[in-house]
Amino acid sequence: MMAELVIYNTVGFPDPETFFKFVQGACSYVDALELGIPPKFAKYDGPTIRRSYVAVAGTDYMNLLSNVKCRAIALTYLDGLDLEKFLEMVRCTKAVMFPDLLIDHMNRLEEVTEAVKKMSLKNVIFISPSVPDTIIKSASRFADEFVYLGIRPATGVPTPVNVTKLVKRVRVIVDGKLIVGFGLKDNEEIAQAIEGGADGVAVGTSVMKVLEERGESEAIEAVRRLKEYVDSL
Amino acid sequence: MEVPSRWYNIIPDLPLPLPPPVDPPDRDSSSIELLNQILPVEVIRQQFSADRWIDIPDEIKELYKNFGRPTPLLRARRLEEKINTKSKIFFKYEGALPTGSHKLNAAIPQAYYAKKDGIESVITETGAGQWGAAVSLAARTVGIKSTVFMVRSSYDQKQQRRYLMEMYGARVIPSPSTTTAFGRSVHGSGSGSLGIAMSEAIEYALKTGAKYLVGSVLEVVLMYQSIIGLEVIGQLNEIGEEPDVLIGCVGGGSNFAGFTYPFIGSNAKGRFIAVGPAEVPKFSSGKYRYDFPDTAEILPLIKMITLGADFEPPPIYSGGLRYHGVAPTLSMLIQQEKVSSREYGEKISAEAAKMFAETQGIVPALESSHAVAAAIDEAKAADMRGTSSVIVFNMSGHGLLELDNYMKIYGDR
Repeated sequence: MMAELVIYNTVGFPDPETFFKFVQGACSYVDALELGIPPKFAKYDGPTIRRSYVAVAGTDYMNLLSNVKCRAIALTYLDGLDLEKFLEMVRCTKAVMFPDLLIDHMNRLEEVTEAVKKMSLKNVIFISPSVPDTIIKSASRFADEFVYLGIRPATGVPTPVNVTKLVKRVRVIVDGKLIVGFGLKDNEEIAQAIEGGADGVAVGTSVMKVLEERGESEAIEAVRRLKEYVDSL
Repeated sequence: MEVPSRWYNIIPDLPLPLPPPVDPPDRDSSSIELLNQILPVEVIRQQFSADRWIDIPDEIKELYKNFGRPTPLLRARRLEEKINTKSKIFFKYEGALPTGSHKLNAAIPQAYYAKKDGIESVITETGAGQWGAAVSLAARTVGIKSTVFMVRSSYDQKQQRRYLMEMYGARVIPSPSTTTAFGRSVHGSGSGSLGIAMSEAIEYALKTGAKYLVGSVLEVVLMYQSIIGLEVIGQLNEIGEEPDVLIGCVGGGSNFAGFTYPFIGSNAKGRFIAVGPAEVPKFSSGKYRYDFPDTAEILPLIKMITLGADFEPPPIYSGGLRYHGVAPTLSMLIQQEKVSSREYGEKISAEAAKMFAETQGIVPALESSHAVAAAIDEAKAADMRGTSSVIVFNMSGHGLLELDNYMKIYGDR
């Protein structure tokens, strides 16, 4: 089976018009778009994504999301979040992910995933390498979309990690679909993730930088090349 | 008993996910990125590893052996007799290492990995001098240079510690210094602090391209210290004993974690008691929250039990226990009640140290004397219950280089 490609961008980044053009163009190359909604505290995001949150402040997220035609996964953090309002805003997407759910809100796992399901949305469960084996096993059962393994403590900050090892460890615990991201820095690491047993990869910061600096055409081309590379693995 | 061939990493065996380090929300730059620049590559890789076991390179094993590992596990029979207990009291004696404390266990791998990066010099800060001495020796051993920013009050008062570092070949700079911009900004404003020394060390590492070595708190440092507990497991097996209680003192948490985590991770029976100073009441008054590990707020925020990075510790003599926080994994284990905690004032722990010196001949480091006090109390409590316990504590270091502090506590006799 071919590996999947998920691309992250913050909703409305770098501006609503460019965002929309990018999404329209990228949709044909990706299996899903992961779309970030600025949280109160961007806990695990690196400088690029943090800057993007500031850049899109005041954007009509709901309006932009409703115009995204491909499979979209909404992402934000639970700290200080009005869950009901948020789910209402993202109900036009397919699935939802909260990177801090297991880490800081473990006691809300059932409540949050149930609320997501009630809105006819699916759950992506985010895990990091610091999640113990027992919890990966129990929490991954709540993932009806996929399990997302974030390999680094912050997005876009290339701390040295052994990608293959980190993925292999989780692969033997998770039965369902496993997507790996959160800091994959280059093609070599994408290949290592797939080699470790990932069903797909998620890429964000590198494409966002192209989008911000060189516009949507080059960013879409970067996504196309990524798709080509992922397909070749 | 052989030197263990692997370090133990508790991350995959924790009861809950460990909250990762995060960047301060109000900054454009990344403090996590800073770690990339200042720490040896393999040290960061191991810091973020989820492997339960990490092989100890042969070269490091050889160095551990050369410096006296495995350290002895001794029974404190004369102490038992003195307090007339039915319990057995054992202690792991990390003071047997050349620099007099457990700190060498973490300094050797960091210096080794820095050298592997092709780096010729390492930098750190030290308060009382135990960590600085360990880094100086480790750097000398692997053949690289070391620079130690030493809190100025200690630099002036603890000349033996300072000289020990210099004897190993370290360049020791009193902090605040005029060597760094941060040092110059606070120069002349007092006798310095560990936070200022740390800020100077990090700035100097960034400026010179040297690697910065970390003495405690980071998970990877706790993992290097797991050599202590792994040895104790083997040593207790050899004599057919199983501990009912394990005790260690806590500054940042590295000696306690290194001693107990291999037991906690293997679901060993028994209780685990972390002991801190009443004068720095992080267990009784600290809050579990994200906070800076350093007073200069340079490093990423970590979630831990903390009195606040701006906490000003009182001038107690246990320099190693003045730290404002507790390592994240240990904080979580305390929060989850897998580890209990207690606090002793300096007077009580110094009395315990004196009793230990009189009975066992070893002068404990003032930090370790807190563990001695708890071990004595545990034995007495078992006697009160009419039971006997196997009590094991970690004697993280000896106090022979801080007799001046004991003299200040007891008076010159």
